[in-house]
Amino acid sequence: MTATLPAKQVPSPGAPKRAGGWTLPFRERIAPYAYVAPFFLIFGVFGLVPFLATFYIALFEWNPIGDQTFIGVDNFTRMLADPRFWNATSNTIRIWLLSTIPQLAIALVLAHVLNHARLRAAVFFRMSILVPFITSVAATAIVFAQMFDRDYGLLNWLLGLVGISSIDFVQTVWGSHLMIAVMVAWRWFGYNTLLYLAALQAVPRDVYEAASIDGAGGWQQFRHITVPALRPIIIFTIVTSTIGGLQIFTEPLLVARTTNLTCGAVRQCQTLTLFLYEQGFGRYEFGYGSAIGVALFLMIILIAAVNYLLSTRIRGEGR
Amino acid sequence: MRLRTSPPLALLAAAALVVISACSPGSASGGGGDPKSFEFWSFSGIDQQHDVDVYLRDHPDLQVKLTEVGSTTETAQALTTAIAGGKVPDLVLIQGDDMPKFVQQPQNFRDLRESGADQMKGDYLDWVMEQATAEGGQIIGIPTDVGGMAVVYRTDLFAAAGLPTDRESVSKLWPTWDAFIETGKKYVAATGKPFVDNAPTSVFYQAVNQVSQKYYDDAGNLIYDTNPEVKAAFDTTLKALEAGISAKISFGADAWNAALPRGDFAVVSAPAWMLDQIRRAAPDTSGKWDVATIPGGAGNWGGSYLAIPARAQNPEAAWNYIKEMQSPQRQLEHFLDVGSLPTTPAVYDDPKLTGQADPFFSGAPTGQIYTQAVLGIKPFHMGPDTATIGSEFLNALTNVEQGSGNPATAWDDAVNNIRTAIGK
Repeated sequence: MTATLPAKQVPSPGAPKRAGGWTLPFRERIAPYAYVAPFFLIFGVFGLVPFLATFYIALFEWNPIGDQTFIGVDNFTRMLADPRFWNATSNTIRIWLLSTIPQLAIALVLAHVLNHARLRAAVFFRMSILVPFITSVAATAIVFAQMFDRDYGLLNWLLGLVGISSIDFVQTVWGSHLMIAVMVAWRWFGYNTLLYLAALQAVPRDVYEAASIDGAGGWQQFRHITVPALRPIIIFTIVTSTIGGLQIFTEPLLVARTTNLTCGAVRQCQTLTLFLYEQGFGRYEFGYGSAIGVALFLMIILIAAVNYLLSTRIRGEGR
Repeated sequence: MRLRTSPPLALLAAAALVVISACSPGSASGGGGDPKSFEFWSFSGIDQQHDVDVYLRDHPDLQVKLTEVGSTTETAQALTTAIAGGKVPDLVLIQGDDMPKFVQQPQNFRDLRESGADQMKGDYLDWVMEQATAEGGQIIGIPTDVGGMAVVYRTDLFAAAGLPTDRESVSKLWPTWDAFIETGKKYVAATGKPFVDNAPTSVFYQAVNQVSQKYYDDAGNLIYDTNPEVKAAFDTTLKALEAGISAKISFGADAWNAALPRGDFAVVSAPAWMLDQIRRAAPDTSGKWDVATIPGGAGNWGGSYLAIPARAQNPEAAWNYIKEMQSPQRQLEHFLDVGSLPTTPAVYDDPKLTGQADPFFSGAPTGQIYTQAVLGIKPFHMGPDTATIGSEFLNALTNVEQGSGNPATAWDDAVNNIRTAIGK
């Protein structure tokens, strides 16, 4: 993932247009296109074509190894009437909220602390928080699933020590959501912390020093210097976390991998992408799976648009 | 999965495959190719490497590239995508439950009659062969093993509970599922520990495979919601749950493997192919297990087939392998080495099979027990949605077992979920 860093790097619109017009030789005019072509070619083949194909396939009853029948919008009407679709949607949104809010809050506080001038072994801590991010998501899910196990899990053993009886995290709605949210948050807080930290490095130390001299405590510095300085990057992480959160797949797949892609007996932790996968690859209904994919795409666009509107407003107030 | 591309990755990959397949010429008849080598996809946990090694020992000039794709389901999924547009293997192992979907689309596979399968088909159990035969008569798979059923139990735990421990007496404890539940109650009363690993797989999946018709009638019509035999199996399972004899640990979960060596349950319904899994999950419990007959008579759960996709590059080499390795004699050898049950009744009387005594299971004559289980089978029709219907029933029962589902509405919930899932 390429990190779009603060807007400072955008060239000012007043810069002179040196390369404009038709005065340059053909080779030089074509060069920039040649440089960007590989990305667009690969994007076309592996991004755009499948993307458009998804919309096309959604209009069919499409058996990957059999017949394809055009059925118009039937897949969509079926989807809207399918309780499993709405269940997956609400699961996805709840897991996303449960994971994103604590994750970004922790990242914000951690970034503030790690940026502190007097922190010893800062490099060690800064590197350490990225460890969860580079750990394989499958390994994470398997380890967490064992920790949260009803009979043999570490967590229930600890709860047992203080006299709380075993909790079946996987089989309860809130338990499975909490478990997946913890996994997601654990994996991503370090990444977001680093983004915040990178942005904070751009804030001159003098500001903090001046604040200290004026008698501002850690909390006041956090509220009045760190958070305002990070406003654009916070918006960026909210957008990326939203897109990622709506696509949570591996964790629920591995948490309840004995239950045939439903993530629990009553689909209590089945997310939208897992539901899509169940339909497409568990039941080989590519048409219906594609329709779910289209719905997910529209949902992400919608939420991204809302985010964009909110973020432009916040920025406007900030200035 | 945090990617900046918006549509889900899995679907993109699928769509890409579909698009590519739409462009590639549809060469239906694979032929010729290299008779000396072939590519073989299997699922893990069934030790096909053993067979391949045996084959290569006899044919050092050949080459076999065996890939263990993953679980049975993952292997069937990989095969589906490969058929839809990728590079297919020359030979593939398909689990019985995944077979109906492929049998519905026989054009994707080589009709093995062309290679002489119709001469061989008499060697295999009729009803097993039937499940690999398409409506037009095409034979798309040769059966490698069947999953005859039995109950595996811990003799030491039975002794501690004051129950008999030798396999004849234990088998007599439970001629029916009701008797099985009663035995379970006695065990729980004596020890305070759960009796069976879980009811949905150890009771429902067994009982529902002992019927004369399952989810489809013999003509292929759906009858899952009206068939009294299915309802009876479901109600028996609810009764087992009410009796409180279940450890509530799903088969295949990590916890299942953890519970096995600890003796957290005393009984598992185990088809032939599960014996090896138990052996590997709890190696230290060798000699503490024994095998009794399944309540309710004969039945089958699982079993696999070897098939050759239509676009295979080297179908001849793959067929030669099937023909040699699935002969009755070879299936017998495979049983003696690995333990999965042959599909060739000719060897069921063979003294090597009947005389097989498994030391891990207290010297139980597994060959004899499991062949008896499949010989008495009343075959039933399997349809394209058999697997889906089965897992929805299983989910509804698991929900009751875990304490969130209401036993009074479980049947209706299951039927409703199945209607939503299969649309009829």
